Amino acid sequence: MSVLEVENLEVYYETEEGPVQAVDDVSFSLEEGENLGIVGESGCGKTTLAKAIIGILPDAGYVNRGQIRFDGDDLTEMTDAQRRRLKWEEISMIAQSAMNSLDPVYTIREQITEAIEAHRPGTGRVESTEIVTEMFELVGLDPDRADDYPHQFSGGMRQRAMIAMALALEPSLVLADEPTTALDVIMQDQILKRVNRIQEEINSSMLVITHDVSVVAETCDRVLVMYAGKVAEEGPVEEIFNQPYHPYTIGLKRAFPNIRMPDQDLLSIRGYPPELVDPPEGCRFAERCPMATNRCYEEEPEAHHINGLRSYCHYADKIDEELRPRADDAETWKQTEAARAQTQTQQPGMGDD
Amino acid sequence: MAQEERTTQSIFTDVEDRTSSEEINKWERTTRLWRETLREHWGLLTDELSVKLSMLVVALFVLVAIFAPWIATNPPLQRQYQTEDGILIAKWVEPSILGGNSEYILGTTAQGFDIFSQLVYGTRAALLVGLIAAVFTAGIGTMVGLVAGYYGGTVDDALMRIVDFLYGMPLLPTVIILVALLGPSLWNIILAVIILQWRATARVIRSQALSLRERPFVKAAQVAGASDWHIISRHLAPNVLPLSFLYGSFAIAWAILTEAGVSFIGLGDPNTVSWGTMLQASRAYSALQFGAWWWFVPPGVCIGLLVISGFLIGRGYEEITNPKLQ
Amino acid sequence: MGKASFVIRRILQLGVTFWAVGTVLFFMFRLMPGDPTSFIISPQMTPEAREQVIASYGLDEPLYVQYVKFLQNALTLDFGQSFQAKAPVQEVIMTYLPNTLVLMLTAFAIAYFFGITLGVLSGWYRGSRFERSTVITALVARSVPSFWVGLMVLWVFGAGFGVIPMSGMSGLGSDTQSFWQMVFSVDFLRHLAAPALVLAYYFMGYPLLIMRSSMLEVLSEDFVDVCRAKGLKERTIMFRHAARNALLPIVTAAAIALGYAVGGSVLIETVFAWPGIGREMVRAVLRRDFPVAQGTFMVLAATIIILNFVADLVYGYLDPRVTYD
Repeated sequence: MSVLEVENLEVYYETEEGPVQAVDDVSFSLEEGENLGIVGESGCGKTTLAKAIIGILPDAGYVNRGQIRFDGDDLTEMTDAQRRRLKWEEISMIAQSAMNSLDPVYTIREQITEAIEAHRPGTGRVESTEIVTEMFELVGLDPDRADDYPHQFSGGMRQRAMIAMALALEPSLVLADEPTTALDVIMQDQILKRVNRIQEEINSSMLVITHDVSVVAETCDRVLVMYAGKVAEEGPVEEIFNQPYHPYTIGLKRAFPNIRMPDQDLLSIRGYPPELVDPPEGCRFAERCPMATNRCYEEEPEAHHINGLRSYCHYADKIDEELRPRADDAETWKQTEAARAQTQTQQPGMGDD
Repeated sequence: MAQEERTTQSIFTDVEDRTSSEEINKWERTTRLWRETLREHWGLLTDELSVKLSMLVVALFVLVAIFAPWIATNPPLQRQYQTEDGILIAKWVEPSILGGNSEYILGTTAQGFDIFSQLVYGTRAALLVGLIAAVFTAGIGTMVGLVAGYYGGTVDDALMRIVDFLYGMPLLPTVIILVALLGPSLWNIILAVIILQWRATARVIRSQALSLRERPFVKAAQVAGASDWHIISRHLAPNVLPLSFLYGSFAIAWAILTEAGVSFIGLGDPNTVSWGTMLQASRAYSALQFGAWWWFVPPGVCIGLLVISGFLIGRGYEEITNPKLQ
Repeated sequence: MGKASFVIRRILQLGVTFWAVGTVLFFMFRLMPGDPTSFIISPQMTPEAREQVIASYGLDEPLYVQYVKFLQNALTLDFGQSFQAKAPVQEVIMTYLPNTLVLMLTAFAIAYFFGITLGVLSGWYRGSRFERSTVITALVARSVPSFWVGLMVLWVFGAGFGVIPMSGMSGLGSDTQSFWQMVFSVDFLRHLAAPALVLAYYFMGYPLLIMRSSMLEVLSEDFVDVCRAKGLKERTIMFRHAARNALLPIVTAAAIALGYAVGGSVLIETVFAWPGIGREMVRAVLRRDFPVAQGTFMVLAATIIILNFVADLVYGYLDPRVTYD
């Protein structure tokens, strides 16, 4: 049974210029024990999606349409009190920045205990101490340091503490928003492996939100590629990275170094994602897509199911024969409309936060 | 933040152009730089309604101050009820706006002065105190702050100890003692306010200068052999200008409040009329007990209006320079 | 270790500041134009008494000897004799200082309780009508001169409705034995209410605005999102986490502001004829009772200097991140 089902979700932000359509008509589901990666450039709506699921959208943000079903119950219909009971107990998060996601004026133990007591009132001191010790050992921290303040920890230790806190109540769903961005590559690898192991132990599902394709490759079973608030493509990790059916995924894949093909040129997708206050008609990627046709600018693409993937490209059926050879050629990407507009300024298209 | 970036960029251009340009153009570019910063901030500032209203209020007071002799119906310190041989017939006159049968809009004081005219002339005193004190506190504070921050080391230490010392002096009591010793006049009040108030500007500008001097455009200018004075005036000063203005606008408000307080206590200038001296007189003649509110309400309202306008303009400016507050 | 040396350094600085304030005060009074003895000696004295006082203050000696003597006396808190009260300045100070402290601390407690609470709420509910109206109230409180608000209150509630006394600290015929007995009498509270509330209103704007902007800063931090994700109650997040973090700048600000408040007590005490140290200083200045003016001024300055020092120390305890380098 699905732990999480998101259906036609639209999340908007109220601004002076009108609503920003940060998440637009997104659907996916997540099975028990499964890990789903959500990738895309910054500003594509992936963090907003996570905030909507856990229920911490800022004041200006709201769910305009659609459902978020957790264990079959629609979260968007729940009262605040009902939702609060699910938070952390069932759905917890590993926040984006290791440095600032812990309250600086309380010790780590106080912060973990607070979460325990908010959901399981009456938990004794002994029991919560036990949980803290157990979690610290699981993430590879010295339990004696639980009474330290966050600033006494290094970046890596803080991130482990955050993970310990996120998993303390053994939630069935963990949202990890850029869980390792702040860490160096070795630390990143260690922490990801550990998270995966703990996760298997407590049998929880995980949504990994990142712009870093390698993190997804390492931790996830399936991937959802988002572009400008919409789903571009979705499918199992292997298929998405070996044989994607959306030009954006092809470009994204080529923007990161590939261990198997170290000599391959890195390319950048020129231009910027469109403004979401007034999104363009048709395919949102059209302007930056080297293979766009008139149809792409006019007609919004439907889902195409190929090879176990779900691709939102008009030409998904023809990718194999016609488009892939072109898309694999780095030269092609220098010929997009966005690239032409940008030749003077020479700005890289892939910003990483 | 965006503000800072833009200013920084224009300074970069300044540095890069140096080699190719003539000495004369330098001065032109500097003034252009200052002008652009000013215009940009002015545009952002007047966007906000409360700031617009405040500026309107200040403009109104400025007009009243300039045209005081034409607006006031009588000289402010001329007794209206005097017999031929100069003997005062103490007399209260009800304001004509309340149906009092007289030519005096706000009536007269117990000493026989025309309240409305006093109020009009009081505007002059308030603006004089506010503007002069603000210009000097912001000016001195900025200079000291820039010098301390740019040179660092012993110079910085010495200047900051002076600032620390000034922070140990209670504002109003110090001004009171200084004025008592120097003699009660408007100029001495202004002087006393300036002596104490530049401390805040200096502290803030110094910390700005400390971070600015580590920035690449200052390093570049140093390597290019620019003199210290050149760097301070052309590269640092334009960048701290917004902060100087901010502290200047707050200084206007504080100076006016301080003058009112000192005058209220009885150390005001006996030869000028200010809103503070009006309040002092109304209290001395027990206007409270007689319920002559037209004597002591208007000056307080005027002080409040002018000061709150100053604060609102300052706050509006603060929000531009510190986007976190928005 | 870092902490101890930090405290020692601050104490040394404290001593230097006291010395500087005392020195400036000394030379301010001595170097002003006019006869220096007129600042020290009452004109009504007999010639013999005058000689005696001049000698006892060392006024016949060179300036530097006088200066050293002044510093020696200041160390023992001896500021000389009051001309008016014919009593040591020390005694005058001890009579008036407690009255000021009672008024200030009452006003301060009220102001900071409401100021901080309203600041937390207006930061939390930013963009609401509540926020706008509290900010405007705070700005008005800071802009309108407090002594004028005092006048208005006296006019409306004193002269108009007659519900508050017009002046002083206790009514006629109230006869209490000790200071503390007086403080807890109904009559005293009736006198205290108006000046304390007017002052509280004036003080309130500062913590309110600081707390609000501090809250806005804290609320943009990631840990607040984590707190919300943890499913904590809104009230818990608002006070236990956001406000607790936002409180840090307030503590320093409060200690410093309390110092300046005591310094600014001058005006309110004058309006309400509250027999405090600020009003006494003004009266001494106006009557040219310079020993009292000097002594009371030193007390006001000392309050500020010491509270600045306390603010630095307290901050270290509240923010675990503070290092003493």
